[in-house]
Amino acid sequence: MGTVYITQDDAFIGKTDERLQVKAQKKTLLDVPMLKVEGVVVLGRATISPAALTELLERKIPLSFLTGTGRYLGRLEPPLTKNIFVRSAQWQAAGDSDKAIHVVRSFIRGKLKNYRSMFLRAQRENAALNLQAAITRLEQAIAPINATDTIDSLRGLEGAGSAAYFGGFDALIRADGFRFESRRRRPPTDPVNALLSFGYALLLHDIQSAVNIVGFDPYLGYLHTQRYGRPSLALDLMEEFRPLVVDAVVLATLNRRSLTLSDFTTEALSQAVSLSDEGRRTFLRLYEQKKQSKFKHPVLGTQCTYQEAFEIQARLLAKYLMGETQQYPPLVLK
Amino acid sequence: MHMVVAYDIPEDKRRTKIHKILKSYGQWMQFSLFECNLTETQYTKLRNRLSKLIKPEQDSVRFYFLCACCHNKVERIGGEGVRDETIFFA
Repeated sequence: MGTVYITQDDAFIGKTDERLQVKAQKKTLLDVPMLKVEGVVVLGRATISPAALTELLERKIPLSFLTGTGRYLGRLEPPLTKNIFVRSAQWQAAGDSDKAIHVVRSFIRGKLKNYRSMFLRAQRENAALNLQAAITRLEQAIAPINATDTIDSLRGLEGAGSAAYFGGFDALIRADGFRFESRRRRPPTDPVNALLSFGYALLLHDIQSAVNIVGFDPYLGYLHTQRYGRPSLALDLMEEFRPLVVDAVVLATLNRRSLTLSDFTTEALSQAVSLSDEGRRTFLRLYEQKKQSKFKHPVLGTQCTYQEAFEIQARLLAKYLMGETQQYPPLVLK
Repeated sequence: MHMVVAYDIPEDKRRTKIHKILKSYGQWMQFSLFECNLTETQYTKLRNRLSKLIKPEQDSVRFYFLCACCHNKVERIGGEGVRDETIFFA
């Protein structure tokens, strides 16, 4: 099962028999069985035939639209599942309830612990790096999580932890010419930030699918407040996966020199940096490989891929909110 | 389940139809030979669609199942490579 990425501008997505076809300028670019497709991501512009649209909906294959640079625009998706109990549990926990505080704690703990283990690993592999200050600051943010009782103060801890992490992120990049000063978004103004933003947009697509499959309302989150059109729950659940999936791929891409500075272009006026077509394909391939890579899930004790882990974590969250388990364990990898 | 589907159909029109259906389920490896990796349900669907179409007195379609262990032992010299199904680009 794989994701279809359509990077060709003005492509036409159609359907013949039970296959998905992508054409551009009267040439067939892709012809794959629907059975093998589990998601379609359009980067840039594309038209889609009504028949293909219906077929995608019926097969419950989500279709996401991103701009060429990876900014998330929106998605088309089959209806929420009929499992109303999950959604009602989700709504009951909204606001400042004990359950909300517990899951927010877990999201932040997951994220910060993964940040910390990334730094620890880098430190182990390269003794010349001096990350001790950042690690200490991360630990200072992790320690009070369990004793903090309001969501706002938890958000403060998350901010402090993230600041420490992004402050030390530059040291993890070993490729010449690439620098990371601080996290900049909308638009990203350097290659590293551009890659991070692109990766997070892709991850959001995947997590949102998982959240939907399990039956949540993606717009009601706990850590992220409600805002029109913002998939807050997906963003919440994304936190623990950011370092594990996206940051890891970005660092691997740069440090293995899979992308060079010539793969990026800068827009004159806004200083926005984006990837070239070829670079985008390289990055998409690496991202997909990461998603399909296996590891041992610390809670279930079985082998699973990151792709499966998105859904597993969403299910664990559902179980906790419905009162079937005592706690929500975030995915923390050593 | 991994399977090799081979067919022998004398009439061109019907052969094309069979070919088109099979393309939706697996990968075309050689003339009148497909390799498919399907679940139980998908296989049943495919079988149903094919059996409705063919004329049993003239045509034949064969499904050879490969166990997981044998599947890795397929050797290839030349010809079509196996499609990478983790990611598709267009």
